[in-house]
Amino acid sequence: MTYQAPQEDLYAVPGGEASPLLIARNVTKYYGAMPGCLDVGFDIWPGEILGIVGESGSGKSTLLGCLSGRFVPTSGEILFDRADGGGLTDIVNLPEPARRRLMRTAWGLVHQNPRDGLRMGISAGGNIGERLMAAGERSYGRVRGAAEDWMDRVEINRSRIDDRPSVFSGGMQQRLQIARVMVSEPRLVFMDEPTGGLDVSVQARLLDLLRVLVRDTGVAAVVVTHDLAVARHLTDRLMVMKGGRVVEAGLTDQVLDDPQHPYTQILTSAVLMA
Amino acid sequence: MADDTSGEIVRVEQLSKTFVLHNQGSAELTAFAEISFSVHAGEAVVLHGPSGSGKSSLLRILYGNYLPSAGRVLIKHRGAFVDIGACDPRVTLDVRRNTINFVSQFLRVIPRVATRDIVMDPLLRRGAAVPEARARAEAMLERLNLPARLWDLPPATFSGGEQQRVNIARSFVHISPVMLLDEPTAALDEANRAVVVELVSEARRNGAAIIGIFHDDEVRKTVATRLFDMAGRNPLAA
Ligand SMILES: Nc1ncnc2c1ncn2[C@@H]1O[C@H](COP(=O)(O)OP(=O)(O)OP(=O)(O)O)[C@@H](O)[C@H]1O
Ligand SMILES: Nc1ncnc2c1ncn2[C@@H]1O[C@H](COP(=O)(O)OP(=O)(O)OP(=O)(O)O)[C@@H](O)[C@H]1O
Ligand SMILES: [Mg+2]
Ligand SMILES: [Mg+2]
Repeated sequence: MTYQAPQEDLYAVPGGEASPLLIARNVTKYYGAMPGCLDVGFDIWPGEILGIVGESGSGKSTLLGCLSGRFVPTSGEILFDRADGGGLTDIVNLPEPARRRLMRTAWGLVHQNPRDGLRMGISAGGNIGERLMAAGERSYGRVRGAAEDWMDRVEINRSRIDDRPSVFSGGMQQRLQIARVMVSEPRLVFMDEPTGGLDVSVQARLLDLLRVLVRDTGVAAVVVTHDLAVARHLTDRLMVMKGGRVVEAGLTDQVLDDPQHPYTQILTSAVLMA
Repeated sequence: MADDTSGEIVRVEQLSKTFVLHNQGSAELTAFAEISFSVHAGEAVVLHGPSGSGKSSLLRILYGNYLPSAGRVLIKHRGAFVDIGACDPRVTLDVRRNTINFVSQFLRVIPRVATRDIVMDPLLRRGAAVPEARARAEAMLERLNLPARLWDLPPATFSGGEQQRVNIARSFVHISPVMLLDEPTAALDEANRAVVVELVSEARRNGAAIIGIFHDDEVRKTVATRLFDMAGRNPLAA
């Protein structure tokens, strides 16, 4: 019992980066007097996938909105590594134009409903190319080439490049949305129920695709889901929310297989019975 | 030898596991209490005890899948001991990638990946060239008597025994310093069980530390260099 594992060993994860990509501290958001999320804190490291689960109304989307710069938290800090050598930047107090630039270049947002993330009136190729052009790409040939490449990667036939997404199936629309987000090589992607509203078999395919993309690109992600199977297959670590607070957090398979909090035990046993 | 701790790779200290079932009146279920032992490279410790004595729970704690209730587990990882129940999840994942492997009787099916690719994957992740990884994967599948016509197919539709053999091929194509085995021979026929016994013994002779559960007496005798008796490790059960 006298042996003490050297403290520094716990931080020396080779191949890992020296600092987190994003740090959230005491993030709290009220809607008037109504709490949305309360006192949430965690780190995300490059390449890491964080899952957020919890019952309806527990504050998952509120938290994601705060992290991704769409909502301003009532209090708390959100620090992001902009990779500009300037260390961690407080994004809550970032001037609006700088925050918009960040959202366009370093972050990606995948909506549950692909209609919220796609431009339904322009072609599939245009949807993918748009973010590249917004990021400064001027060559039509390169934009078209990247669009074709991403159609391949999300398994949509290239021949559909000039079709509008409105004629695509739900699963195809969701894959197109992912291509649109990933083409600009974000370092952090936020996903709110990315497989919600899809058939089970379509979900499985999308999940496979997300896993491959995450592995190949090394992107970090925060994924909100009510589906514990999605959490298990996609995420490295998991936070369980209830009433706006995080009640349990840890390695995903540990939280799901050996849940400690009463609420997590209900959540995981409900799935076993289903 | 008794003083030589240089090859020590797993140290279990005063480890207890009690499940608290909050939604069943906070019932407490003690699987085991105050277990201590250590395992060195080149040893095969087989956990022995009746059903429900906590063998699987112990292995899961060693893997970071369950949390200790008291005590701790240290794993030698990248030259220093890591407290597996208390470290950051990122560290646990790094330990799993490099130091410790868990082989259960169930394959976590990766839906659309071909069998050969599933078995090559641990080698490719460690930087092996594709031709070499392929050759070693195929040799392993052959050794486990998995027909070549199945190699290009995802294992989702395979029989239980075939899936288990894919799982074992994947687990033994690269040997981790610590191998945790939870009844890896459970659904296998005689011939394949013998192959698994061979693989385990080979891994041990090559310096892996094995901690395993084997129900079959014969297998247990062949594989073990030492038994660890779980019976009587639960003071409440007696
Ligand atoms: N714009 C808003 N104005 C007022 N209250 C809101 C607003 N958005 C969310 N809330 C409230 O904040 C709480 C958290 O909502 P949130 O949308 O974050 O939950 P959620 O965990 O994402 O739920 P779901 O799983 O149903 O999507 C809820 O009580 C909700 O009613
Ligand atoms: N996640 C869990 N939550 C609650 N109780 C659990 C959990 N996992 C195991 N247990 C309980 O802990 C006890 C020990 O189970 P464990 O699976 O470790 O035994 P075992 O020795 O491996 O048994 P077997 O030989 O049947 O596989 C059992 O009573 C079991 O029900
Ligand atoms: Mg929501
Ligand atoms: Mg067991």
